[in-house]
Amino acid sequence: MQSVILKGYKDGYEIILKQDFGLDKILVELRELFDNLSAEKKNADDTVISFDIKTENRLFTAEEKQKIEKIISEYHNFKVHKIESEVMTIEDANILKENDNVHLSYRTIRSGQIVDLKGDVLFLGKLHQGGQLRATGNIFVMGEVQGVIHAGFENDTDSIIVGNVSAASQVRIGELVDIIDDEKVTNSQDTVIYVNDLHIIDYGNRDELKSLRPKLFNQAGGY
Amino acid sequence: MGKAIVVTSGKGGVGKTTSSANIGTALALLEKKVVLMDLDIGLRNLDVVLGLDNRILFDIVDVAEGRARLHQALIKDKRFNEYLYLLPAAQNTDKSALVPEQVKAIVDELKEEFDYVIIDCPAGIEQGFMNAIAGADMAIIVTTPEISAVRDADRVVGLLEQNPLLQQPKLIINRIRRQMMEDGQSMDVDEITRHLSIDLLGIIVDDDAVISTSNHGEPIVLDSKNPAGLGYRNIARRLLGETVPLMTIKQPQKGFWKKVGSWFKKD
Repeated sequence: MQSVILKGYKDGYEIILKQDFGLDKILVELRELFDNLSAEKKNADDTVISFDIKTENRLFTAEEKQKIEKIISEYHNFKVHKIESEVMTIEDANILKENDNVHLSYRTIRSGQIVDLKGDVLFLGKLHQGGQLRATGNIFVMGEVQGVIHAGFENDTDSIIVGNVSAASQVRIGELVDIIDDEKVTNSQDTVIYVNDLHIIDYGNRDELKSLRPKLFNQAGGY
Repeated sequence: MGKAIVVTSGKGGVGKTTSSANIGTALALLEKKVVLMDLDIGLRNLDVVLGLDNRILFDIVDVAEGRARLHQALIKDKRFNEYLYLLPAAQNTDKSALVPEQVKAIVDELKEEFDYVIIDCPAGIEQGFMNAIAGADMAIIVTTPEISAVRDADRVVGLLEQNPLLQQPKLIINRIRRQMMEDGQSMDVDEITRHLSIDLLGIIVDDDAVISTSNHGEPIVLDSKNPAGLGYRNIARRLLGETVPLMTIKQPQKGFWKKVGSWFKKD
């Protein structure tokens, strides 16, 4: 049985490295494969062909990947497009889960405290004056907010803040800051704060949300 | 084994020292063995409030550095038999003279002998504060109905959440001006308690006698008829686990004749 399989598709070539074989055997067979390929290709033109490499249910370390890439780089007509695996480490999975989730927070953030959260946050707690809530994604406020609320920390200006922030001292989105005063924000649960086309923090109503950030709805699966 | 309680506030001048002295005295009146520990090093003043300033020989830094034994530094308050003692702060050094481990060692030693160790914390949240909470089992946070004091109390509660003590912190609202609170000119008790979201231990109304008695070295709690003194007595009873209803802030309505009489008063 072969440990290295070459497949051709409509939009390119794919090399599958079977997971049942050791790396040493794979490297030997890979070299054989490319020797054959480059012999065949000698007569053809000089175009460079790139491959996607699939490693099935196996993760190669950076070193191992380098070994594979090194072999292919010896043949100047071929190059590696990307190395893909069907699996990921638990650590990566946790980060993905952390970033792609709405976190429920009901804690009290007191003066001087800074709370950093990954992903989107549904905030049900209390944010006291002088406290700071920072999230890498959107923030949906249902609790009392008197401090500084920071969505899209550090530089994601696509993030939004939804909810009643009329008592907050500042809102921040990405690297932008806006000071809240009474005229600007109505005391309403329907306020949406976003960064507009002029790269300025702007205030809207929840009704406009769909046109402001259509992606937000797709993400949740609705239309 | 006793219990160590730190009295703290963040902001200065809200009545930490007065509260420490009065709670300590009230507990001593209820026949608990109490030691008051002044950790406001460099700005010693708990001794004057108790009227014990002329009897200091050694202080807490002497004990920590081994120049004196703990018992030599303790000052007995003769008014309360064997119940109230003071461990004074040092006057001619600063807060960095102690490290948390030293304070903890002293507090642990005192806890073996006393029922309550009341620690008077310096203002601020620096080294002195860290020293003060190091050995404590519980914190009492003193605030006044002012936004600045409440804000600082909030910060201190936050810091205590990061360095949790054995028990949740409790709140004392000091210097309540009845008239102002009734008129809604100052924050009210419920508002402050809800904002800080910690348990309320007691309220103390503002009273001129608190200052005048302190100046004589007599804690206000010795005056059983004074409303501020009563507030501290109630706090002491609550610390012992009794259920004591909260004092009403509302001032009694003046009778008709008193009203008439007040027209003829000079002020």
